[in-house]
Amino acid sequence: MKRFCVLTSVIACLVVLPTSARTPQEQRGAPDISGFWELSFDSRNVPRANLLPTLTRAKLDARAKKDAYAIRWCNLLGVPFIMDPGRPLDIRQGSTAIIIVPENSSPPRYLYTNRSAHISEDIFDPSTNGDSIARWEGDTLVAETVGFHGEHGITAIPGGGFRTEKSRLVERYRLLKDGSILSVTFTWTDPTVFRTPHSYEFRYQRLPATYEPRQWLSCDPFDEDRAKFLESPPSAKPAARAVSKE
Amino acid sequence: MRLRVVLVVSFLLSFAAPSVAHAQSAKIRLEGDWVRIDPDGVGSFGGLSGVIPPAQLLPGVSAPAGRGGRGGRGAPPTSGSGGPNPEGVPYIVVAQPCSGGGPGRSNGALLVNPDSGGIHFIEHKDEVIFAGERGGVRHIYLDGRSHPNVWTPTPAGHSVGRYDGNILMVETTGFMPGMVPGGGVRTAETRLLERFEMLPDGNRLTVTYTWEDPKVYQKPHVYRYYFDRAPMVESKGTKVSYALEEWCDAGDPVEKQSIIPPKQIIK
Repeated sequence: MKRFCVLTSVIACLVVLPTSARTPQEQRGAPDISGFWELSFDSRNVPRANLLPTLTRAKLDARAKKDAYAIRWCNLLGVPFIMDPGRPLDIRQGSTAIIIVPENSSPPRYLYTNRSAHISEDIFDPSTNGDSIARWEGDTLVAETVGFHGEHGITAIPGGGFRTEKSRLVERYRLLKDGSILSVTFTWTDPTVFRTPHSYEFRYQRLPATYEPRQWLSCDPFDEDRAKFLESPPSAKPAARAVSKE
Repeated sequence: MRLRVVLVVSFLLSFAAPSVAHAQSAKIRLEGDWVRIDPDGVGSFGGLSGVIPPAQLLPGVSAPAGRGGRGGRGAPPTSGSGGPNPEGVPYIVVAQPCSGGGPGRSNGALLVNPDSGGIHFIEHKDEVIFAGERGGVRHIYLDGRSHPNVWTPTPAGHSVGRYDGNILMVETTGFMPGMVPGGGVRTAETRLLERFEMLPDGNRLTVTYTWEDPKVYQKPHVYRYYFDRAPMVESKGTKVSYALEEWCDAGDPVEKQSIIPPKQIIK
């Protein structure tokens, strides 16, 4: 009987111990939002933002000019732009973070699932992507981002307004339709920009698992022709026609 | 009694079997943040390159024009003095800073042979993402796909991988022509095998690079890079590490300025 108990205990340990080697997500059986995701023409539900009255047209224009500068000089683009970059996103769920990789030269986003607090403001250098932490609430991944840089990158927020160093973004990621759709609800709060929290939703469509991310198009800040194109107002004149005189 | 033991053991083993299998696959995780180290204490970037064994190229093979794997900011002419510059004389003049999305910095080319910037891995069953703080991302597919039949060569090529125990084995082809550390050369036909291997404590990563190309090399060109886990920093009472963002603004004139030796107080 003693031998039986020892044997039973050993086998029980074999059953239990490996479980502790699994990642927290694996243990909880959280959904896996990994995959290649793309926005279509009808993927965006973006209401107009309720902006503070202090944000005059002149201030908004000045901000738009800074965003144009970021494009002109091939700066890092950052959030929220890279969530709608015009190309698919590669999202991969690891054991410590979920990475969101755009097909452009901006750095990927890391949604850290291995910590529940933001990096201290004392040591975190504000960035175009900010500091994101995420947790699962049932089948929904809730990501919270702070630590944005107020000037760098494309700061424009869909629906109006822009991010500043005081912005806070909460995203809720949820799979729909048997995992073929990824719904992401974005909610921005910023006491210097919005009167009320500004929410909008994107619904990404899953691409085939065999999709191959493309090499992104180069962005050369020293291409004079490109600079001229971006900085000059479009010509109203029709392009010169090459008509042969026969 | 014996029958009861057999029955209970069989019952428990039916649960244990998958867990044991999982335990075997439970690996030391590559995932996380790493920085390249200088294990030989050579003390400089040039020294790090110097310890790479020279590639044995076939007769007639020469390095193509342009930059290879390292990439980075617009090719800076160096002072070339070989020694320290005098006070006020810049070491480097960067005419075109931050190559932006150009072929050097972008597309993961820098991650084929990482420099001193931090690197980050996210492991998923179908793909490992290998990202760098100085730009670029490599996609390493573990889902069993093959290299594409039709592929336009890229700076980082096309990578597929698999785990052999705790070692991530990666095969990459489809490179744009360029140079390889140790005087090597790569072409669209060149094959790179990378072996990402960690010490049992999970804190030291050795990457063994093997470049193979019968049209280029007399024998495979092999060398190693070494990495440690990125240093943890104290944040709100917890030790953490995280990916940094390297900002560089090509439109900022300051970015064109170089390191200028300051006036030396102690002679």
